[in-house]
Amino acid sequence: MTELKPARILAIETSCDETACAILENGRALLSSVVASQMEIHARYGGVFPEVASRQHVLSIMPVVQQALAQAHLTLNDIDAIAVTQGPGLAGSLIVGVNMAKGMALALDKPLVGVNHLEGHIYSSWVYEAGDKVPPEPQFPLMALLVSGGHTELNLMTDHLSYQRLGSTLDDAAGEAFDKVARLLELPYPGGPSIQQEAEEGNPERFNFPRAWLDGTWNFSFSGVKTSVLYEVNDLKKRSSNIPVQDLAASFQKAVVDVLFKKTMNAAREFGAKEILVAGGVSANRALRKAFKAQTEFPVHIPPLSLCTDNAAMIGAAGYFRYALGYVSEMDLDVLPAWPLS
Amino acid sequence: MIEFFSRSPEQTRRIGLRLGGLLKPGDVLCLQGDLGAGKTTFTQGLAQGWGSLDTVSSPTFILVNVYRRADGAQLFHMDAYRLETIPEAEELDLDSMVAEGALIIEWPERLGDLIPVEHLQIQLNHISEEHRQMNFHAHGKRYDELLESIRHAMVGG
Repeated sequence: MTELKPARILAIETSCDETACAILENGRALLSSVVASQMEIHARYGGVFPEVASRQHVLSIMPVVQQALAQAHLTLNDIDAIAVTQGPGLAGSLIVGVNMAKGMALALDKPLVGVNHLEGHIYSSWVYEAGDKVPPEPQFPLMALLVSGGHTELNLMTDHLSYQRLGSTLDDAAGEAFDKVARLLELPYPGGPSIQQEAEEGNPERFNFPRAWLDGTWNFSFSGVKTSVLYEVNDLKKRSSNIPVQDLAASFQKAVVDVLFKKTMNAAREFGAKEILVAGGVSANRALRKAFKAQTEFPVHIPPLSLCTDNAAMIGAAGYFRYALGYVSEMDLDVLPAWPLS
Repeated sequence: MIEFFSRSPEQTRRIGLRLGGLLKPGDVLCLQGDLGAGKTTFTQGLAQGWGSLDTVSSPTFILVNVYRRADGAQLFHMDAYRLETIPEAEELDLDSMVAEGALIIEWPERLGDLIPVEHLQIQLNHISEEHRQMNFHAHGKRYDELLESIRHAMVGG
């Protein structure tokens, strides 16, 4: 690969319920990363309220940017470009970050780089803490599994910023299925961590929930497994008031992880990928991480837990490659709430 | 009241599609039914019939999804399931959504008195694995008319 020009990027992320700013060098070395979470505010609603989120971003954005600069011991003059999440996400939330980024780019006369949030999740595997040992850089061709509350898709990357979508979910995203099953097992929000916690103590072999392989395609479906859990729970309730929540959670989790893992492995083989990358909120799931780490056929990149959830470091990484490869945005950049990766 | 029987998710979606084409800004639809009753499938049909450019997903983490149409109109899709306490009316801000477009609310019972008095109530009931019974109740004059139009669209006459 040709050597890319060095640059220090300040990145802003406000696509959902986290107000985040990070500064990073050359797409990899993280100098600072600040995330103001609105989790507590939204927890009482059991989900993110868009109006509430955007109002909160307005309050948090300035202090978060100032804190990121202070933590990196830098001033705005030390920054080469401003990257910002342009979509997908909540329109009212995205606008706050985009306007902040535009204002800064205009005032400082620095380039502005709009970044896709999903692309950010993928690039979180490029990030490491400045001063730490430099981890190996993902190598192309790369099979990328993107798995979160809103997305489940397989992309083949033959180069930077190039995404060939092989398949995606036909119904529920994997993270959504986790939350729905948590609901019916009466586990608290957010459902992913709740299921994981119950599953640790459960027997994953007790219930044989269906796996939708959808052979011949690289698509996923998680609606069926959710419905089978529902029928199983209804059935169990008829017989006893004692529901084996841990076994149900473990068996459900195993059904989802099996499909995600095996389909990704098969796709990597089929398309001649050198390595595998797993990204998005559900990549924090321990069973999923364990499945990928237990195999030795492909080197696997999964971000550290701190970078699995929304953050600006990943936007800075993707933003750097966009900037260095010449994809700079115009000042009329607008939010794209439904922007697909490919 | 109108009662429909659906024999498949596809049919549930098609019933939604017919209703979606009749929606106007300010309309409020309340969708009731257990998990797996077909609320998301029905809403997918509604949004398609209405002309949404965006794909419908269940508002699981984001409690309100917004779908857009080519003419700029908006359709709001709210899921109130996780609400443990009824929020303040101004936090929820239903009024501003209804002012801007049509609104679909799943699990409306969680919102108590905040639900607009006039609305179309749709109840989806499990009969068997694939079969669903759907009851449409009109609350208010606009919804009597809407029901009449659905009746026309679905059964003719």
